[in-house]
Amino acid sequence: MRNIIYILFFMGTLLHAQTKMSTAESATLKAKVKTQAATIKTLLSDFTQYKHLDFLSNDITSSGKLSFKSPNMVKWEYLTPFKYAVLFKNETLFINDEGKKSNIDIGSSKMFKQLNTLIINSVKGDLFDENEFDITYFKDGVNSKVYFNPKDKKFSKYIKAFQILFNEEGDVVELKMIEPSEDYTKIVFSNRIVNTNLSDAIFNQ
Amino acid sequence: MRYLISSFCLLFIACGPYPKKHNFQLRTTSNKTIHNPYFSDEKKDYVYKANIAVYDKLFSGIFIVKKLGEANHRIVFTTEMGNKIFDFSFLNDTFKVNFIIEAIDKAILINILKKDFKALIQEKIPVIKSYSLQDTLIYETALSNKKHFYFKTQQLNKIIRVKNAKEKVTFLFLEINNIIANQIKILHSNIKLKINLKSIN
Repeated sequence: MRNIIYILFFMGTLLHAQTKMSTAESATLKAKVKTQAATIKTLLSDFTQYKHLDFLSNDITSSGKLSFKSPNMVKWEYLTPFKYAVLFKNETLFINDEGKKSNIDIGSSKMFKQLNTLIINSVKGDLFDENEFDITYFKDGVNSKVYFNPKDKKFSKYIKAFQILFNEEGDVVELKMIEPSEDYTKIVFSNRIVNTNLSDAIFNQ
Repeated sequence: MRYLISSFCLLFIACGPYPKKHNFQLRTTSNKTIHNPYFSDEKKDYVYKANIAVYDKLFSGIFIVKKLGEANHRIVFTTEMGNKIFDFSFLNDTFKVNFIIEAIDKAILINILKKDFKALIQEKIPVIKSYSLQDTLIYETALSNKKHFYFKTQQLNKIIRVKNAKEKVTFLFLEINNIIANQIKILHSNIKLKINLKSIN
């Protein structure tokens, strides 16, 4: 009997590891992240990406570097296990696939424009647009976990939710994109450097 | 007149059956089935970097194959950033589209991919006739009711789908290590479609 009580107690604490925030707490977090995001002029970070497909034995892991320069230059560079870089710059998407270069004009594509804005905002953590997302806030130990569920029906066919994990300082430490099937892509950031001097040459493709 | 006869002869040779056209020597069939081992390990996640050239357009991404059981495979293609492009299931002779992005949700394209991937994953195929050409053994099969020739020099290194004695699709298995093909090429002759897969795990 005592064991059952222990188990129930333990389960209780586990369930409470992620608790919903009060309105005041979520407002504080939102303000903190927005203030942080506004000060980001450049950002440099390593990342590890985990692609989770339920039927696989292991997640597919890749890693690389992320560079961002305000207002709208972003480069995702995969270094292992393949070399691939995608650069958003001047309404164009530049791709470097193991030396093979190509580009897509995104100026005319509403979807790509949205994607670009989304990428920049999620890197900064600022997806707090209530017209675009249903937002729910949770406490996860000292961290905060926020779910952004796209309201747009067409979009939500591809991504059911963005989940961002913020540390105590309000920095993005993890970004998870969850598909309607529950498969997901998780990106974990490390060695994050903000507002260091980033040469424009990094953003040349 | 002589030219006319020669032309007829040439025409006859050109229209002859594929094995004859390529000087395959008929052999007595000893193998009743041919075995394609490249996606046969249930314990393995098969992950490839894929480059696809369709007409003048180039696409790239991650091509994933998992054997889930006997004659049961799942094939998923995602972008490098993880977004799913398509997700197919093959179970015995049934085929199911679990997901495909709107932009490429076209019956003709899905049908081409279905036929191509079936040739990649089908493990045991009944042999109709056997041939040889130098040190290569060639097995004629009727995979998905289409004529396919399996070329084996030590390992299976090529499959050719043939129609009217002409090559329609060539599957090349390269850099073979044990039962892993580290590079796979799917080359179409009648449409401008090339798929190149490079193992990354």
